[in-house]
Amino acid sequence: MTNTIASDHPLTRQEQALLQKLCRLIVPADAAYQVPGADDPSIFADILQSVRTNLEPIKLGIDIASGLDVPIEQATPMLEGRAELAPLVSIVMQCYYRDDRVMEALGMEARAPFPKGYEVPQGDWSMLEAVQARGKIWRDA
Amino acid sequence: MNAAKKNSTQDIDFSPVDVLIIGAGASGGTVAWNLADTKMRIVCLEQGGWTNPAQYPSSGRDWETRAQSDFSINPNRRAQPADYPVNDDDCPIKVANFNGVGGGTVLYAGHYPRFHPSDFKVNTLDGVADDWPIDYSTLEPFYNENDRMTGVSGLAGDPAYPAKQSVMPPLPMGLSGQTIAKGFNKLGWHWWPSDSAIATQPYAGRDKCINLGACLHGCAQGAKASTDITYWPEAIRAGVELRTWCRVKEITVGEDGMASGVVYFDADGVEQFQAAHVVIMACNGVGTPRILLNSTSEQFPDGLANNSSGLVGKNLMLHPYSSVQGIFEEELDGYRGPVDSIWSQEFYETNAKRDFVRGYTYEFTRGRGPVATALTGVHSGRIPWGAGHHAAYRRLYNRIAGMVAICEDLPEEHNTVTLDPQLTDAHGIPAPKMTYRISDNSQKMLDFSIERASEVLTVAGAKDLLIESPIAGGGWHLMGTARMGTDPKTSVVNEWGRSHDVRNLFIVDGSIFVTSAGVNPTRTIQALALYISDQIKKRLTNLFD
Ligand SMILES: Cc1cc2nc3c(=O)[nH]c(=O)nc-3n(C[C@H](O)[C@H](O)[C@H](O)COP(=O)(O)OP(=O)(O)OC[C@H]3O[C@@H](n4cnc5c(N)ncnc54)[C@H](O)[C@@H]3O)c2cc1C
Repeated sequence: MTNTIASDHPLTRQEQALLQKLCRLIVPADAAYQVPGADDPSIFADILQSVRTNLEPIKLGIDIASGLDVPIEQATPMLEGRAELAPLVSIVMQCYYRDDRVMEALGMEARAPFPKGYEVPQGDWSMLEAVQARGKIWRDA
Repeated sequence: MNAAKKNSTQDIDFSPVDVLIIGAGASGGTVAWNLADTKMRIVCLEQGGWTNPAQYPSSGRDWETRAQSDFSINPNRRAQPADYPVNDDDCPIKVANFNGVGGGTVLYAGHYPRFHPSDFKVNTLDGVADDWPIDYSTLEPFYNENDRMTGVSGLAGDPAYPAKQSVMPPLPMGLSGQTIAKGFNKLGWHWWPSDSAIATQPYAGRDKCINLGACLHGCAQGAKASTDITYWPEAIRAGVELRTWCRVKEITVGEDGMASGVVYFDADGVEQFQAAHVVIMACNGVGTPRILLNSTSEQFPDGLANNSSGLVGKNLMLHPYSSVQGIFEEELDGYRGPVDSIWSQEFYETNAKRDFVRGYTYEFTRGRGPVATALTGVHSGRIPWGAGHHAAYRRLYNRIAGMVAICEDLPEEHNTVTLDPQLTDAHGIPAPKMTYRISDNSQKMLDFSIERASEVLTVAGAKDLLIESPIAGGGWHLMGTARMGTDPKTSVVNEWGRSHDVRNLFIVDGSIFVTSAGVNPTRTIQALALYISDQIKKRLTNLFD
């Protein structure tokens, strides 16, 4: 995993390492669902790349996590749901749920929506008969 | 955000034009096309550029991320070169727009309802607000013409409306729509396929919808009728000149009190003057009052067109929305499919038994993308951090469907667009400030809409409900800030869109709405733009009398 840590990154190596642990805390790997964790090297590389554009709130989240007096592995009760961590959680989810393995585990094709698009069933239009039977409901003016 | 190359200013002919349109959005494109057959020299100035549909977010794996950044619906977050900041700190509903050719239609959902006949007679029927100076039958032929130009899908025979055509078959209900429709049928409530500005068949050179599910971030398929791909190509072919990356600072007036032209910043940031015989404003309910208020002069010390009524920027209406989403046990469509599906107008007309007047439309929503599902779950406490994450996620993924209620907002003078004393855009032009309160009537309507939606979703099988009211980011309908009327003391433009105070100045965008109705505004904005430009054409010989 160490090869994920980037040296030209605005986060220090220490901050990157803590961030990676935080990612694991938020979304751990799960063999039963055949999914990696958010600390997986390629997902984490995407996270590291993505935080560059929104660095300040991410740093704030990391600072809060590093200021706790418990090991990060036990920090969930202190961190979960805190508004200051919302930007960080948002980036973790954005990167995690576009990973091929995660999408495929959910039964999705790992691709962008365009150009292939999707099939959506028409639905049963005969259900409208009940609505029509009631007749006009708009008001004359 | 992709934007086509900026214009070169070298070849521009600055001699006076017959008609100058400001803003190339929904109404600007419509009015340009309709006036083109007069063979007048028509120029439109637009502060943004063209977007390239091939580069809309849905063509990339990061589409949900880009929907929050360079294609955010919020201009303050998007902050692209075409955008101007809007101070909405004093507004519980944050502004949403798009600045560029096509305007808001680039990002709109394409929900495309008409007003009802009763919407034009609110005072007569319900004793609130004011009647419009025109009625449904005035606009009906223009609705029809706009429907053909836009390409509207839907199903004729909706009992909530007078008879109207449908140009194409409806969008699919899908599993989500069908599930919720069952709930409506059990309660005996109205529902119907939504009228939608999305092609379900190849139409006028556009391809049909392929259910990308990303309508709100630009339609890469070109199935959604944004005016950059409907009216604009036709208007340009007919001779209209569209100058992009040109931001208007102010409208100037001559000694005769008529508009003489506009001062604008071109693509290179150089201040230019374009003289014009007629000026048409099409910058939406925030952009138009902003320019008028910025256009002060000796004759118009409080802003252009603002002498007789003082109402420029007042009566801002936004349509407060509630959102109620059900979480179902069975798998539904998820984000696949257009935002639009079916709607209900069961609670549209005033009912004396309720504690509010007027009403609303429910618009059914399909599910959420994988990232949005995760964020919904985490932020609402339904998806925990750690070991339980994956199981909880799967209880939400593809299982969310519900509706939003679009509530009629009545005009109130204290809801305003003014100029912010400090904030400016990149060119130093004072930025707009929105000040807005949700009225008692709207709040009661929102509360009622949540109760009824919760009831029907539960009947339809939802096991849990996600509720948001008002939708905080939902300031996408900007109306009322230069209202239409026959009395110069109580309205800014007359019954055919001409300023009472400045006889060669017209407004065609959502600013001129007298009331907001309980439906999305764009079909009516465009029908009004056709109607007003038709009036201009009919009166060309005595336009300024
Ligand atoms: C996310 C979203 C979803 C929506 N969904 C729906 C829907 O489903 N149905 C519906 O009916 N409506 C919807 N709308 C609203 C719809 O987009 C607007 O009602 C419609 O576009 C308004 O038309 P308009 O002509 O008044 O202004 P706009 O379309 O906003 O166009 C105004 C144009 O003026 C330009 N402009 C502004 N100031 C200046 C200046 N100083 N100089 C030069 N140019 C300027 C802007 O760049 C812009 O292009 C939605 C909007 C958004 C943002």
